[in-house]
Amino acid sequence: MTLGEMEDMMDSCVRCSKCKFIPQLVIQSKRFSSICPSIDYFNFHAYSGGGRMITASAYYKGRIELTPEMLNVLYGCTNCGGCEVSCKWVYELEPNEAIHELRVAAVEAGVGPMLKHKKYIELVERNKNPYGEDPDKRPAWLTDDITTDESSSTLYFVGCTASYRREEIAVATAKILNSAGEDFRLMGSDEMCCGSPVYRVGDEKSAIEIMKSNIEQFKEAGIEKIITSCSGCYNMLKVEYPRFVEHDIEVVHTSQIIEGFLKDGKINLTEKVPLKVTYHDPCHLGRMAEPYIPWEGEKIEVLSQVYIYDPPKPERRGAGGVYDAPRNVLKQIPGLELVEMERIREYSYCCGAGGGCKSAFPDFALWASNERLEEAESTGASTLVSACPFCGTNFKDGIESRNSKMEYFDITELVLRSIGGDK
Amino acid sequence: MLEKDVYAAFKKIVGERNISQDPGVMDSYAFQWCNEIESAQRGEEPQRFGVRPLAVVLPKSTEEVQAIVRLCNEHDVSYKAFCTGMGPWAGLSSPRGIQIDLRRMNSILEIDEKNMYAVIEPYVTNAQLQCELFRHGLMHHAQGAGPQTSPLASHTSFVGPGFTSPYTGFSGRNVLGVEWILPDGEILRLGSYDHNGKWFTGDGPGISLRGIMRGWLGAYGGLGVFTKAAIRLFSWPAPKEWKWKTSGTIPEYDWDIPPFWKMYVLNFEEWEEYQNAMYELSDREVTMVATTSAPEGLAALFTNTKQEAIESIFAGLLAKTRNYIVMLVAAHTEREFEFRTKLVQSIMEKYGGNDLIEEGVTVPKPMHYGETVRNMLGGHAFRFSNCFQSTHGGMDTIAMAVRLAQLNQPVKQKYIDKGVIGDDRGLGVWITSYESGHMAHMETPTVYDPTSVESCLGYAAYQDECNQMDLDEALGMPFFIVGDDVHNFYAERTMNYADWIRKIKAAFDPNGVSDPSHYVKGGERKK
Repeated sequence: MTLGEMEDMMDSCVRCSKCKFIPQLVIQSKRFSSICPSIDYFNFHAYSGGGRMITASAYYKGRIELTPEMLNVLYGCTNCGGCEVSCKWVYELEPNEAIHELRVAAVEAGVGPMLKHKKYIELVERNKNPYGEDPDKRPAWLTDDITTDESSSTLYFVGCTASYRREEIAVATAKILNSAGEDFRLMGSDEMCCGSPVYRVGDEKSAIEIMKSNIEQFKEAGIEKIITSCSGCYNMLKVEYPRFVEHDIEVVHTSQIIEGFLKDGKINLTEKVPLKVTYHDPCHLGRMAEPYIPWEGEKIEVLSQVYIYDPPKPERRGAGGVYDAPRNVLKQIPGLELVEMERIREYSYCCGAGGGCKSAFPDFALWASNERLEEAESTGASTLVSACPFCGTNFKDGIESRNSKMEYFDITELVLRSIGGDK
Repeated sequence: MLEKDVYAAFKKIVGERNISQDPGVMDSYAFQWCNEIESAQRGEEPQRFGVRPLAVVLPKSTEEVQAIVRLCNEHDVSYKAFCTGMGPWAGLSSPRGIQIDLRRMNSILEIDEKNMYAVIEPYVTNAQLQCELFRHGLMHHAQGAGPQTSPLASHTSFVGPGFTSPYTGFSGRNVLGVEWILPDGEILRLGSYDHNGKWFTGDGPGISLRGIMRGWLGAYGGLGVFTKAAIRLFSWPAPKEWKWKTSGTIPEYDWDIPPFWKMYVLNFEEWEEYQNAMYELSDREVTMVATTSAPEGLAALFTNTKQEAIESIFAGLLAKTRNYIVMLVAAHTEREFEFRTKLVQSIMEKYGGNDLIEEGVTVPKPMHYGETVRNMLGGHAFRFSNCFQSTHGGMDTIAMAVRLAQLNQPVKQKYIDKGVIGDDRGLGVWITSYESGHMAHMETPTVYDPTSVESCLGYAAYQDECNQMDLDEALGMPFFIVGDDVHNFYAERTMNYADWIRKIKAAFDPNGVSDPSHYVKGGERKK
């Protein structure tokens, strides 16, 4: 949808501020009642979901221009979708979609994205990854004891962060797959960024090119199933790609495939992992992971001024994210105790890294990770676990900055320990 | 734009990070729900963008607020402070004005369990305060505007009815001491605080200024800035070891209902039976909640989506529902619970009522109990069209509330027939009793389309007609009067009270810089 198509929706915001908090019913304490790292850090209303929707409407109406300060407003947001979950408790509004569309409009107008984003987009185009690393070194994490099958129709799509920054996740994932007897292949140095960092900052044109190119490559390689250990890649491949490029490739996250391995007895968690852990739901694996289901139908006035959709329009409210698979896996690890934070599942608090914030607003991203770490520490857990290399990077930075005693592990690392694969 | 030196002076007070004059940032403050009605009334396209502030500041302390207010007085700049900010009364009316966003002042300063009061800053929300109070076995009165809004704003500046009003009264009744930055920048602490550092009463040994500070309606932020408030607390009818606990996934959460709680929807065929039952239920202090809406409203109260609400309407809910009272019996002990539930049964039978829950006509889930005490049910009314507004209503006796509801029906039906407002067959009201006594609140929530000129004007005309009816039928005092014109309208037949409010405004705001917005203007601004 364009901003024009969203105008009535944007103008229907009643500026109630619900978008700043987790759904009101699930608030258990003042300290952890917020949903939006951006409003928490920047404070002006424009930095909330509703505030950004209002500025998007103001921009569409020609009331304002995209000044440098407005670009801060627009991009000082992790695009985590928390605002939308809370808003939709009552309203039929989509603030997170409006934020994305304003980013697209900013890029089309030639003012967005921000300089740091432009730089990494260039790197993606040149080096196939936003870090500017050598594409030939992408599979450098691969150790001799890992077996791949280049004829397999199953692809382990490693992703840029696990390839270059969190290699331990790539290693753990590959070893778990080996242990379960799941054949897979890699794209190696031919693997291209999934396009998430490009898409999230509104450069939709470039992102669609990447999507098309990747799908073409997958099809040429005969790929029928993609396994990803990155929530950002998962979200792109599973949720965003089908909106722009037709494909019927099955996409699964490591937490889901491991859950399946355990159910089928393909791996056994035999080694004790004596840790008290708490689990962070990555936004892109959780509330943002619901598919966009195309809808065609009519808007019918059933009572004066009251409309419904016939057939009912599928809603994206965050309920259908991947929440249970990682928890089911963690609960089966012997010796491990899982305790929950106050903000979980669809109302999880974002780690602060997404939406281009880690590069353009590093102080904000670090601050948000500290907020989340404080919540994790408050559970009494010694270890924070998640299922996204990018969240992991930001949390590790946060742990270092606050001299926290807390450790961070990806779920694959703990599973690998429990199957004895780290020995 | 503010003059450079004036902007620099504000920046010096709050720091660079906490001030902005960017038009986009300003527009997020200019935009307010219900501005579209006022713009339609002015003959403009209905729109929510109102007066754009020249700057927004985010103070962190009383001292910073005071310095901002003093600077405003010095440079003839209007100001309006607000918290979460929902409604045009939170916005500016003066084009040479700034907005004071109190978001950074968000601490719970004190919870005095023994003396049952809490001292809070402006941006503490109802849900946040409630969570912390439960740990002490206490609760506060939360206004119907919702759990995300500020109890300080309501207690100091609005009437503030809520879903627990039978037990907790209304906001205006529960404010104790306050820290008040007067319009000219002087700090005034009302109540006992200035004498012994404790906030247990809103009146000190001298004359009481609470009437001036807020009076009946409150000043909607048009008379200075409140930076702290002590509010009265109530016993929370649940064991101390009980914890607010939810599980599940949106929109189907589960919630642990405390022991000795039970909800009823008592239904009465005629208003007279309803009225008698409401008096008796209130008088016997039997219920924490006693709320009434249209049958259509009942469909929205105990469902989780618009689709569900509409389906329940078409499944026959309307035919089985007349004049009902949603009640929550919430007792501390088993014996108290038994006594109260027997009493409810007896009153229901005495007045020929039936319980719609027992009959399966409506089925509140455990999460709806939670939503009731978290004051979330009013928000459900937004589900129908993303928008509604209420008439000015009345706050008087239970009998008056019933009379208002009866007189309102044909008026509302007229506008429904024109197709400009939502169809609730004219029955859409919200009534709640107050303080386990004879008092009640009544307003008529009304769905309209904020993007349609016809609908906005239609709603505005309906509201005007309701106001006229208030006077012609002597329907008591409205609970909500916004702006000079509406005050003048009512004042004509109510001893010109607005003249006295204007005198207060002029005396306390000699430079006329505390933006009255939807309060009253105090006269010409001093040049």
